[in-house]
Amino acid sequence: MNYYIDPLTLVTFFPVIGIVVLLFLRADQKVHARWVALITSLITFGISLAILAQFNPANPDLQMVVNIPWIQVAGWNISYFMGVDGLSILLILLTTLLTSLSILSTWTAVQDRVKEFMIFFLFLEMGMLGVFLAQDLFLFYVFWEFTLVPMYMLIGIWGGKRRIYAAIKFFLYTMAGSILMLLAILWLGIYQDTFNVPELAAMGGIPPNLQFWLFLAFGAAFAIKVPMWPLHSWLPDAHVEAPTAGSVILAGVLLKMGTYGFLRFNLQLFPIASVKLAPWVAALAVIGILYGAAVSYAQKDVKKLVAYSSVSHLGFVMLGLFALNSQGVQGGILQMINHGISTGALFLIVGMLYERRHTRDMDAFGGLWKVMPIYGALTLIVVLSSMGLPGLNGFVGEFAILLGSWGAGLPGGVLGSPWFTALAALGIILAAVYLLYMFQKLFLGPVTKEENRVLSDINWREILTLAPLIILIFWIGLYPNPFLNLMSASVDQLLNAMQTAAVAGIP
Amino acid sequence: MSLNDLLVNLNLIMPITILTAWACVLLLVDLFIPKERKGITALLAALGLLVALALVISRAGVATSAFNGMIMIDGFATFMSVIFLFSGLAGIAVAYDYLIRSGIERGEYYVLLLFSIVGMMLMAAAADLIMVFLALELLSIPLYVLAGIAVPRPDSEEAALKYFLLGAFASGFFLYGTALVYGATGSTALTEIVSATTSGGVNLSFLVIGAGLILVGLGFKVAVVPFHMWTPDVYQGAPSSVTAFMAVGAKAAGFAALLRIFVLAFPPLAMDLTPVLWALAAFTMIIGNVIAIAQRNIKRMLAYSSIAHAGYIMMALVPYGQGNVAADTVASALFYLLAYMLTSFAAWAVVIALEHNMGEGRDTDGLSLEDYSGLGQKQPALAAAMTVAMLSFIGIPPTLGFVGKFYLLRTVIEGGFPGLALIGLLTSLVSAYYYLRVVVYMYMRDGEPVVRREPWLYFTALATAVGVVVLSIFSEPLFNWASQAVLKLI
Amino acid sequence: MIPISYYLIFAAALFCIGLFGVLARRNAIAILMGIELMLNAVNVNLISFWRYATPEKINGQVFAVIVFAVAAAEVAVGLAIFISVYRRRGTVSADEIDLLKW
Repeated sequence: MNYYIDPLTLVTFFPVIGIVVLLFLRADQKVHARWVALITSLITFGISLAILAQFNPANPDLQMVVNIPWIQVAGWNISYFMGVDGLSILLILLTTLLTSLSILSTWTAVQDRVKEFMIFFLFLEMGMLGVFLAQDLFLFYVFWEFTLVPMYMLIGIWGGKRRIYAAIKFFLYTMAGSILMLLAILWLGIYQDTFNVPELAAMGGIPPNLQFWLFLAFGAAFAIKVPMWPLHSWLPDAHVEAPTAGSVILAGVLLKMGTYGFLRFNLQLFPIASVKLAPWVAALAVIGILYGAAVSYAQKDVKKLVAYSSVSHLGFVMLGLFALNSQGVQGGILQMINHGISTGALFLIVGMLYERRHTRDMDAFGGLWKVMPIYGALTLIVVLSSMGLPGLNGFVGEFAILLGSWGAGLPGGVLGSPWFTALAALGIILAAVYLLYMFQKLFLGPVTKEENRVLSDINWREILTLAPLIILIFWIGLYPNPFLNLMSASVDQLLNAMQTAAVAGIP
Repeated sequence: MSLNDLLVNLNLIMPITILTAWACVLLLVDLFIPKERKGITALLAALGLLVALALVISRAGVATSAFNGMIMIDGFATFMSVIFLFSGLAGIAVAYDYLIRSGIERGEYYVLLLFSIVGMMLMAAAADLIMVFLALELLSIPLYVLAGIAVPRPDSEEAALKYFLLGAFASGFFLYGTALVYGATGSTALTEIVSATTSGGVNLSFLVIGAGLILVGLGFKVAVVPFHMWTPDVYQGAPSSVTAFMAVGAKAAGFAALLRIFVLAFPPLAMDLTPVLWALAAFTMIIGNVIAIAQRNIKRMLAYSSIAHAGYIMMALVPYGQGNVAADTVASALFYLLAYMLTSFAAWAVVIALEHNMGEGRDTDGLSLEDYSGLGQKQPALAAAMTVAMLSFIGIPPTLGFVGKFYLLRTVIEGGFPGLALIGLLTSLVSAYYYLRVVVYMYMRDGEPVVRREPWLYFTALATAVGVVVLSIFSEPLFNWASQAVLKLI
Repeated sequence: MIPISYYLIFAAALFCIGLFGVLARRNAIAILMGIELMLNAVNVNLISFWRYATPEKINGQVFAVIVFAVAAAEVAVGLAIFISVYRRRGTVSADEIDLLKW
């Protein structure tokens, strides 16, 4: 007998073990619940590192594939099909890392119903990992919809004042997009007779005008998740109301499900529509970049500011992906990771402040640098990384995206206009404006409020929470090649396949 | 028909025979069971159901007809019988403690339940319109009584009155339709109806009007808009355990008859009937889900939700006339009925656990949404079961409701009605709002819910909820089974 | 011989009168009478179809017998419910039976 469990199934469903243990705890065993969740998530992270060790970056195809027939009757052709490639390996690592850090960040922040919190959190981790690993549309959809439920609970139970409104809005918005995707999945399942993504991609043969509609149906689900302007209005509500750990995961991972969806499904399955619609998507992305930046600047609430900055940053990701060239897509993927790291860290930082002062209003602060120097220094690094300062991670991603979109904007490129790049570059400047403005309001100047004088600087646990992210900020900023190497083979193969399909499809 | 023939035929429908005899015997035995020990009757009734279930399952795969083609025992009938018998068992499980605490414990309750199940099983097996009518009445009349069994509670007898009047009214339509079909084809047997239709020479307008009236009659039973007005009142007024049983059993039986009659006898009329079915399905989904949003009483909300779900199942019936999709029509409807049964019982068991009686002859309480506040903290198991049920009703994976809806939608799209599928999906989105509201109350508001800790209620709620999740992951055997239950003329 | 259409028109008229009774009358007893008219219309239909279309077979007749037997059973249950309601409220008017939103 072979008792070997394949690594992908193990990493996806390992959180369930933690959930089972948690179920046997009493509601008042808060510390135990935290440790169980933390250890579970750390082991999951360990497993994902083991997957990384096994991963062969030179191989552009899916690796560590599991493909077991699941429902194969009555004309169904559904398999339990998981695999990891260069497009998803980094997102897996990001998910497991951020989950561990988020759980660490809740140590004192969540005091109420800890056991349930941890159960939902681990369920969420399972769902997210499943989304990034599933290679069967049915399986993907199952995980995709499933992530809604624990996130809904996290916002709705542990959120702020308007949590119920925010939770329902989040749920309904996302579900509204998903149902269109479900229609498209059903269509593919019926007329292409398989839900297997690589098979569907290889098969091709969807007429261009149908590709257009299917692209839109899938795109609706993903665009809401990203969120792309003008479908972003659920995001500020969800972010502001969610507990810190929820915000970190929401910004760090859940939003990436949308961009990842575009990359994995829209580009692969509907190449002709992708090429044709690229300028439109890029236009929306650029509007998102500028709009997000402008609205961020107007915010008084720090968390809202960070939330809107996500709209802006995700715009960069989308612009990079739809440049449809190697630099652009690689930059886009790297920027997904960067955004997860930087914005995740920003939400953690805001959460730490909120835990101390129970307000996030910028006017309530000022001069914190004097009171909390370590905290201030770490914040500065994260803010600079989010701005895209050379030498830190944000720069690498954004620069690659701008290069890519410039290349695509040259005559004959898919975007067809250099204006996209120009306006996006303007977005970088705006990012510097609102982030530095925020930093100045919080940390610089004299201490204006008495209650701020007594704030304690961050403790070891909090430093430990931020440390991995800070290390990654420098690592990616100074030496991004290991990260780019992981994805480049898969990205090139994807783009080549698209090239072939698009050339074949457009007479 | 000689005595020997009779015995042979009775043997062919052995589960039904046994259950009928058992119900008759139980009616007598019950007289000797003391009033405070009616649990014995419940146990005996459940035993009868289990025996019938074992017989049904042991005879699965046999396809035969009995009583000169009046009854067809086939995969379809087997599948439906299992649904009915399971809902009977669940109906007894949720009723037992509830009846005691409501002070309406009577042995007749279980006997009537058995008779009603016999009617349902006959309905699924009936291959002749006369048989369908008999089965319809056999399942309905006990339900009229059951709806009113909480006398002297005024809402219960009012529910009985309304259910009776509307039920009898609906049989009038069904019968008139049957008579017209008989007049057009000269027969009431489904096989002869279809052979007469295909060989020509029938009065098609009579046939179409007849089919339409049959649709109206059965539409009342399964509660599709616009024949749904009785549903909220009856579901709200009837004792909750009866409602739970009737919401599943009667609806499933109605659909069993609709499926068998339409798929076997009326495919030649598809041109005329498909638009009607399309409109019925669309309106049912829209109106059921939209009105449910306004409900604050959980029983009424679930009543509208059950109307909406009738609409979803109706979707499967729309492409019934297309030969290549007809098998999927039946299989997806059956699969969804199974999903609906498990989900419903999970939800209703929780509802019954929270309901409490305010005293003899008084109305019940614990049924408004506010009464669910804080359930997530006080009774995590029940709240989890309810959450699973709500998610399954919406169609969020990993639940059976999702898989069932997926299959229904696939059937509809395959049949060439993507617009209807879109309506189905959009109304699911609408339904998410009111189903999630229950979750909001349970988990996101504080409160002190009054909950009964009754073992059978807990068992039913948890077992069905676990079933909803686990069966959705391991659904291949169910798909297999449902897809074998195709309707064929024997 | 009287053409079958006469019977059918008569039955249809009877059905519609019954239907009107159900919809227009508010007294539960009157509604029940309306339903009975509808069922009788069905019986007229069945018998006439049997006589004109398939007199050699017995099924139409049998069906009619079954219909009124079952209708009688149904009425028995229905009247019991009516009596129960009447005892408690002193009325069986549908307008006044309005505890539940009708």
